Amino acid sequence: MSDKNTLTIDAIELEINVTTAIKKSFLEENIKLKLAINTLIIKSKSLLLAGIGLFLFGGFWSLLSIYTDDALPGPVATLTVLKEMLSDPFYDYGPNDKGIGLQLFNSIKTVLLGFLLGSLIAIPIGILMGASTICKQIFYPIVQLLKPVSPLAWFPIGLVVFKDTGMATIFIVFITSLWSTLINTSFGVASIPDDHKNVAKAFKFSKWRYLTKILIPYSLPHIITGLRLSISVAWLVIVAGEMLSGGAGIGFFVWDSWNALSLEKVISAILIIGIVGLLFDRIFTFIENKVAY
Amino acid sequence: MSYLEIKNLEISFPTPKGKYIAVKNINLSIKKGEIISIIGHSGCGKSTIMNAVAGMLSPTSGTVQLDGKTIKGPGPDRGIVFQNYSLLPWLSVHENIFQAVDSVMNCSTKEKHEIVDYNLEMVNLLSHRDKLPGQLSGGMKQRVAIARAFAINPGVLLLDEPFGALDAFTKSSMQLEVLKLWNLNNRDKTIIMITHDIEEALFLSDRIVVLNDGPASTIREIVEVHLARPRNKIEFVKTPEYIELRDKLLHLLTEEFSIEDLGVVYKS
Repeated sequence: MSDKNTLTIDAIELEINVTTAIKKSFLEENIKLKLAINTLIIKSKSLLLAGIGLFLFGGFWSLLSIYTDDALPGPVATLTVLKEMLSDPFYDYGPNDKGIGLQLFNSIKTVLLGFLLGSLIAIPIGILMGASTICKQIFYPIVQLLKPVSPLAWFPIGLVVFKDTGMATIFIVFITSLWSTLINTSFGVASIPDDHKNVAKAFKFSKWRYLTKILIPYSLPHIITGLRLSISVAWLVIVAGEMLSGGAGIGFFVWDSWNALSLEKVISAILIIGIVGLLFDRIFTFIENKVAY
Repeated sequence: MSYLEIKNLEISFPTPKGKYIAVKNINLSIKKGEIISIIGHSGCGKSTIMNAVAGMLSPTSGTVQLDGKTIKGPGPDRGIVFQNYSLLPWLSVHENIFQAVDSVMNCSTKEKHEIVDYNLEMVNLLSHRDKLPGQLSGGMKQRVAIARAFAINPGVLLLDEPFGALDAFTKSSMQLEVLKLWNLNNRDKTIIMITHDIEEALFLSDRIVVLNDGPASTIREIVEVHLARPRNKIEFVKTPEYIELRDKLLHLLTEEFSIEDLGVVYKS
């Protein structure tokens, strides 16, 4: 009898334990679920709003298209052409007839090359300008004078110097990439706090140690911001540059499509240019967040 | 035989309105192993004197000599603890100290790492060696800064308002921390500390240098503190010597001690 009793009590206790455990895990699950649902709601909200924006944009575009009696192709016509373009992006039928993928690849190559060369010059000079007043006084007037000049104005100079349109295009991207990086780098270096400099003084840091342990880590976020601005402008300039230089690239593609009176292709190219620009920006924003301390 | 000798020190800065004299006629001889506090109102040139000893500022006239040699710039024979810790935020705790040790000491890399870890152990931060300064509390950051100053094994330690930004409890344990390290180093490290806190100055120092208000401030008085060591935070404030010295310092530093001194008539 008593045995039976204890057994039941044990069983009841076990049951209680099991139910509390289940309840607890259920509660935890519940909290997790709630959090997941919350983030989902926030995400879908912003997606929805972005969708509304795109919808309004598409509506306006359609109206404009109707207003111009379809001289400006509407979203549907454009997207059909875009789909067609993307179905075979890498075809190559000779120098004046290449797929959009190949053209895009060409432009990205030119931008990255010009941007890389520009950055290799701009970062060291920016560091010098930020670190030494004399260097700043030497270089800053040049920067102020040349920065407002449209990069396209450099195209003839590139042509004369390099005698090659491809090289001249890289040259204008190079010039474009200099300014933001230069100015941001020099600003970053110039704003190193005295606290950090005092550490270097008090503990007798060598020039090299100061450069690698204080100057560069401190100014890296500024440098990356400069690079992000530079590549955005470089990507702006490449389209115009390739319209001038012709032969290859997404800018040439836009101009060529315009000459062939295919506005669907022009608008499709605009969309692609926008997306690539956005990607460049996202990549550098990502790096910016990585190097922030 | 003085170890650190400040003779007729004057420091002035050029300004658009003419020469601004920060401190003048500063004469001070400090023995090896002495703990000296410099106390005075804000802007009275405490940090200026400290920076001259550190070698960050050069004297306009007069000299600062350490061990018979005139100080011409910063050097590894003086370890500095800055007011705002001055840790490099992108380097780990260990790396912050290692860069200082690696910069000024001549031994193998392995030995340098051992020196860093030993000094972190001394301030009970070895378990936090891989954290970034941003992950530490104010007191912990200051302990890292003190460990860094001790790690390069300097003859003189310069503490510029080291505990000014800490809360009262942390401050009290940090004072003990400094005395512990001083004791561990056979009490032969000379410590010069800037402070605003009379009790702190009395608890730590052998002598307290009271400065006049700036500009062109001079030494008002040097107060000798003959309180027996080791001092106990609770016991030493009860001794008549402490009370006498505290009153003396209060009189040197302020004139008002009650609202009645401000001309207020207290109605009971």
